[in-house]
Amino acid sequence: MSEQQSISLDLIRQLVDGTIDDDNTERLLKLPRKDKDRFFGYLTVLQERVPWDERILLRLGDKLYIVAGAPGVRTVKCECGHDFGDYRRNWKLGCRIRTRKTLAEMAQVYDPAPAVPEPGWQEIREFFCPSCATQHAVEVVAPGYPVVFEMLPDLDRFYREYLGRPLEDERDDWYEDHSTAITGQWAQQAP
Amino acid sequence: MATIAREVVDKQRQLKPPTLKAMIAERDRLTAETGHYCGVTELTLRDSDPIKYERFYAKLHAAVLAARESARFVAASPGSREMGECLWGIATPEGDTLAVSLGFLSHTVIFPTSIRYMADNDYDVNDGIEDGDVFAVSDGLTGGVPHPGDFYSFVPICVDGEVVAWAIGINHLMENGAPVAGSWATFSVDTFMDGLVCPPMRTGRKLKQESWWRAIWERRTRAATMNILDDKMRLAGCAMIHAATHALIEEFGMDYYKRAIREVIEESRRMVVDNMRSTLVPGTYNGCAFRLVKYKGLQNVWSHADKNTLIHVRGSLEPNENGVLLDAEGSSKWGYHSYNATPGGVDCAVFLGMINSFSHNTKVTAGIDLAVQRNYPRGSIYNPDNEYTSNANLWAQTVALNSLCFGAVSRAMFSRGYLEEAFTVDGNWGAFQGAGTTADGTNYGFTNFEWLGGTGRGAWCYKDGEPLVWAAWSQMATIGDAEEFESTVPPLFYLGRKLLPGYFGYGKYRGGPGNSAVHWCVEPGRHVALTRPNGGLSCTPSVGIGMSGAYPGPGSFMISARGTNLDKLIEQGETPRDARELLEMIDDEKLAVKKLEVWKTDCPELALKDNDLFVDAAGSSGGWGDPLDRDPAAVVADLNDGMCPNYAFVSDMHGVIATQDADGNWVLDAAATDARREALRAARLAESVPVADWWQEERPRVVAQDFVPEVREMYAQSLTFDKFQREFAGFWQLPGDFAFAEESSDE
Repeated sequence: MSEQQSISLDLIRQLVDGTIDDDNTERLLKLPRKDKDRFFGYLTVLQERVPWDERILLRLGDKLYIVAGAPGVRTVKCECGHDFGDYRRNWKLGCRIRTRKTLAEMAQVYDPAPAVPEPGWQEIREFFCPSCATQHAVEVVAPGYPVVFEMLPDLDRFYREYLGRPLEDERDDWYEDHSTAITGQWAQQAP
Repeated sequence: MATIAREVVDKQRQLKPPTLKAMIAERDRLTAETGHYCGVTELTLRDSDPIKYERFYAKLHAAVLAARESARFVAASPGSREMGECLWGIATPEGDTLAVSLGFLSHTVIFPTSIRYMADNDYDVNDGIEDGDVFAVSDGLTGGVPHPGDFYSFVPICVDGEVVAWAIGINHLMENGAPVAGSWATFSVDTFMDGLVCPPMRTGRKLKQESWWRAIWERRTRAATMNILDDKMRLAGCAMIHAATHALIEEFGMDYYKRAIREVIEESRRMVVDNMRSTLVPGTYNGCAFRLVKYKGLQNVWSHADKNTLIHVRGSLEPNENGVLLDAEGSSKWGYHSYNATPGGVDCAVFLGMINSFSHNTKVTAGIDLAVQRNYPRGSIYNPDNEYTSNANLWAQTVALNSLCFGAVSRAMFSRGYLEEAFTVDGNWGAFQGAGTTADGTNYGFTNFEWLGGTGRGAWCYKDGEPLVWAAWSQMATIGDAEEFESTVPPLFYLGRKLLPGYFGYGKYRGGPGNSAVHWCVEPGRHVALTRPNGGLSCTPSVGIGMSGAYPGPGSFMISARGTNLDKLIEQGETPRDARELLEMIDDEKLAVKKLEVWKTDCPELALKDNDLFVDAAGSSGGWGDPLDRDPAAVVADLNDGMCPNYAFVSDMHGVIATQDADGNWVLDAAATDARREALRAARLAESVPVADWWQEERPRVVAQDFVPEVREMYAQSLTFDKFQREFAGFWQLPGDFAFAEESSDE
């Protein structure tokens, strides 16, 4: 059964780097069952590519990771090292944001002209890392729309039940959305 | 004597087959009590004799595959015959899928809707269901049909008076007789404007349609010849499945058959749940999409519908121990427009991603139906608390919900390390439809499916997306032959049909480009007019969230250019081949147009005359990753290949500096590129603010509800659903009972 097979770290590196060839891609796509130990090989490859030492628990985006800090601390970290804080709080709230609200502003990122979204009904939001300026996310949403918390993983269940390797600092409140703690602080600071 | 007579009667009662209603109740009870389909906790047939078991299933599967590959050549419509816009399946007596052909896979999950409706309404009691009957279905509410252009034939397979299976055939009609001609009735206000909408109704017996049924096609649709042949096609396939199933039961015996059909569904349910567990990361994945519906000024006959609407599509996916929960709470309410769904119809859309992701290595059965829990709140656009809503353009917005949930699967697989499966999911399809009358008075109706058959696939997390290869609703993307569509729409000829350069979402990896065609009207006879029922025609990208810093694919658009000097351009040998070329030729004053209109949402019926042009663009897809991380060599290659025609645009997008050599080829300036990228990163920081500051600036506007009326109405509706209300009020730190005032857009 293919789930017992292992994919080499080199092949995982090629996937991460975007250098994998079509034949190998097709071979992976056609696996009847995915190789079970891929995740830990993936973590190994990712870990060797980041300039910091914290243990990667999960990759959220191309350059965005949930990492284990001190015991009981799990934060979101940019590849550049910028720390966005507790992963239960939407990391986008720690970004810098540029919005495109006018037709001219939107036309800088959509082409041709008739394909540009409609001002007033929609706006484009770009979320940047405050340190390295990586564009980590784009939203094209109605004005006033809450910043979307794209993914909140249940890490304890993932590691314990899906991977069979429980995390050392399991706790009942890890799988909770704490984003409103941040907006609550902002409300206190409102002019 | 009396005692003996009573015993005979009692015995006859015992032998009388159970009603459909009783069978469905028993299935529901056993499944709910045990967590296994129909209470099947052990796969005894499979485990005791796997070869026999697989041989049994292979014969079932072969029957539906053969039905498709033979019967579709009965059809005359390009959609079914050439493009494969069809499907055949076999289901249990309760309507649960056992096997399906290639084609419209996700329709499998809505078979039970019709059967439950027939059972609840005692079709099998009064006046009975017999072997080889033919039932027609095209209603969203009672049949789960995603839009009335899709038409179903159900044929019961009975043994000794008991329904033991259903053979089912489906295809997308060329025309279904609505006020707006075509197969997706734009501007429908309610179900009575959706065209030929059939709740389950018997139209034939003994595998033969009754004579009156032909009259329905001839009098109530505008493409009778094709629709009648499509009807024969569906029935021909069902007849093949009917014969094969009887033979199968004869060979294996009824006891084996009745047990085996339960086991194959339970077996695939287990496999699907295991697939979900072995490829996903548990948690909550959120996404959103929007759709602009501009009816204001175009619906003045139906005053209650004469308004604009911003539809909010909200979807979350939560993998759990039983599979996944798909939650649409927070989405808009239903409205007086054609974009409403029904629970069956939205199932048909959202199971595209589920089946494609989790049924790839097992039998495609109702097993996946049991692994996906759904929440479509009552009153929402996915479960209207009004039985008369129009569902004609359901597909246009439910596909966005599918994209959100399918996209969530991609995110999970990316995080899990199965990068080869991670790509940007879009559903930016297009089509056009209409009707005409030739010079000799012959009427015809049509749908051109080409941009439904093949669209760009979104970027992978490791390479660019590809053109034309993606159609979430079918495994076999094909746009069909241009000549086929020219033959079905006599006055329209293709001047061009090609990929549209630059038309995709940008990122480290770009999406597959969308498509564009130029249709030229020649000798329209007495009349020809068309509309566009477009999935992506909504002034917005089809999904609201880009992947990993990339931009979602741009929305669709179309252009009508009426009153042109095309005859002169033809003499000069230069005609536009796509939307971009058309607009450039107008800007360059080569192409003269008396009436030029660019449509980013539904257009009213457009009547065309000689040399008028209809130009469309659809099927774009989104990118993946930060555009400044794109390999500069790939940017230059796109410039030289013509994939990106606008140097200034891509230079700003990707921070790439190139110059043209004497031959006109672009050549990278690596040092200038490095500097440009540094400058653009600095500009990002200079032109942005902390989200905290943005929040402080935006919040008063939210408190004051200072938005255009359509946005206000959208929030007024979505905030009536508790889950989104909590999110909204929590994010903006508003009172727990914060609400937007209900209003109409014309206030």
